[in-house]
Amino acid sequence: MDGSTVEKIIKEIEQFAPANVSAHVGRVTAVGDGVVAIDGLSKALMSEVVLFEEHKGKKLLDAMHPPAGGRSELYGLILNLEEDGVRATILGDTARVSEGMTVKSTGRILSVPAGDEMLGRVVNALGEPIDGKGPFTETTMMPVERQAAGVIDRKGVSVPLQTGIKAIDAMIPIGRGQRELIIGDRGTGKTTVAIDAIINQLSETPEKRPICIYVAIGQKESKTARITELLRERGALEYTIIVDAPASAPAALQFLAPYAGVAIGEYFMDKGKDVLIIYDDLSKQATAYRQLSLLLRRPPGREAYPGDIFYLHSRLLERACRLNEEKGGGSITALPIIETQEGDVSGYIPTNVISITDGQMFLISDLFNKGIRPAIDVGISVSRVGSAAQTKAMKSVAGGIKLELAQFRELEAFMQFASDLDKETADRIETGRRMVEVLKQKNGEPIPVEKQVAAIYAANQTFFREVPVSKVTDIERQFVEFLDRQYKKVLDSIKTSGQLSDDSKKALDKAMKEFKAAHGELFSIKV
Amino acid sequence: MEKAYAQALWKMITDGMPPKKAVHALHDLLKAHGRVELMSRVGKALVRIAERASRRTDVVVSVAREQDERKAQIQAKEVLKELGMEAKDLKTQVDDTLIGGWRLEGKEHLVDASYKKYLLDMYNRVTT
Repeated sequence: MDGSTVEKIIKEIEQFAPANVSAHVGRVTAVGDGVVAIDGLSKALMSEVVLFEEHKGKKLLDAMHPPAGGRSELYGLILNLEEDGVRATILGDTARVSEGMTVKSTGRILSVPAGDEMLGRVVNALGEPIDGKGPFTETTMMPVERQAAGVIDRKGVSVPLQTGIKAIDAMIPIGRGQRELIIGDRGTGKTTVAIDAIINQLSETPEKRPICIYVAIGQKESKTARITELLRERGALEYTIIVDAPASAPAALQFLAPYAGVAIGEYFMDKGKDVLIIYDDLSKQATAYRQLSLLLRRPPGREAYPGDIFYLHSRLLERACRLNEEKGGGSITALPIIETQEGDVSGYIPTNVISITDGQMFLISDLFNKGIRPAIDVGISVSRVGSAAQTKAMKSVAGGIKLELAQFRELEAFMQFASDLDKETADRIETGRRMVEVLKQKNGEPIPVEKQVAAIYAANQTFFREVPVSKVTDIERQFVEFLDRQYKKVLDSIKTSGQLSDDSKKALDKAMKEFKAAHGELFSIKV
Repeated sequence: MEKAYAQALWKMITDGMPPKKAVHALHDLLKAHGRVELMSRVGKALVRIAERASRRTDVVVSVAREQDERKAQIQAKEVLKELGMEAKDLKTQVDDTLIGGWRLEGKEHLVDASYKKYLLDMYNRVTT
């Protein structure tokens, strides 16, 4: 025992003053599958945290040491108030609870710690660090359930949140404070889009860079570990917090994780900062909540989900907002993810979340398998409020792309049956093919907005018309690198002003000519 | 169904109706509805309700050693008085894991004045 511990013990003994404090208690009458029935606790509140008294009947030495790997104290969360008792879910190991155990009321609603020192850390759904880097010292407790900001406290979405993905920033722009759903089958790149959005925040200045929160719900631990490592490698972990409720965690923690994540986000929003939060994914949260509800004997509804499944997601996503200046001007941008089965977006949970969010981006297996990545179907993807937040520069170049691509897709389908095409149709198809190539992007390689603008401007000016389709992506990358070397001032001007001025356009035209002259062999198709 | 009948029976009895009369009244009602077979299950449900009620009304004082019983009872009664609860029918039991002091539990209240509790609190404060 070291000297400081001895000093602490001496201080404790000197200050010892026994106090007989009465606690409001109940008794466990039944326990199973993470849910307990408690007799008593007649004054308990809904969503109140209760403490299971494990040391009753145990010797002092045994009581001092919690079970291996377990927390020192075992808590529960009251979810049902009934006529002759309450039902609660165990926020930990069910095996530690036994029938007859005394349960103490704490009088407090579930809260999680939040603070600046959580940045770069991995925490569980209760906000406790699980990355082995030690406990937090200075945190503020934030309520897990909080009323979303009211109409008066809000401000319209007008500041862009750049994801670094051309297809999104150009056609489905996201604003700070928006809720944009990422929806698609498994293995279509939903998580990749979200992680790229986090990595891209590196291109923002530290003052404008949002705090990122990645909430992993029901995911494999290996996937979360891989994401953590990727973010660390790319230098993005220092402004990111990972809330992890893996598939092995109790259903209660998987249900709570998104609320814990947004509670941490609200801490930063209240300080006037911007926050980007990713819920990966809400389908698994809904499944966990269904499990809990059935165990709590709540009446099942459609697909056995409880009646309040819509409220589960609406109250979570309503907490994403942009506050007005009086409230600090902070914001929470939410990117919830929903996994569909066989591309069926008309399922119960997908339609619920589609109706709650301010837009959706659909990721399609067919596009993914064709090598179009990100596999976003721009024809059916929308952003209802994001266009107000798009920079003028991007608006000026991306205006017609969506329509052009939609027409291309129709013509492409028609082309499979037609042998002869008139010149206009053939040109449109060739342009469409090249635009699709320009919008392709490798994962983990987000592109700053000014470079996106330059690349799309070049595509609009038919810069890639003489380039074989298979080489467009490569040449576009080379052209952007060339701009970065030779025309940095133009890119900086687009970035700082957010506009594509006539001077910038002239400079880009000049750059295109120079690049073409220097790399004539790449432009091999004669028009 | 039997739970609802048992609760009604329990309420009649606790409201002052003689138990025999209440049971007869219930029996007649069930007979009139053709549900007299429920009677045995109502009895079992009533026992469970009575057990739960007893758990809610019993107050138990635990002490570490038998010789501490008297002192603990006096202190516990004072605490109960402060809480506005009656101190009748105070049951006592010995729990040697308490080390010393006493622990009072009942009527949805818990007052832990055992040495074990004080030492555990101290341990938690020192080690965290």
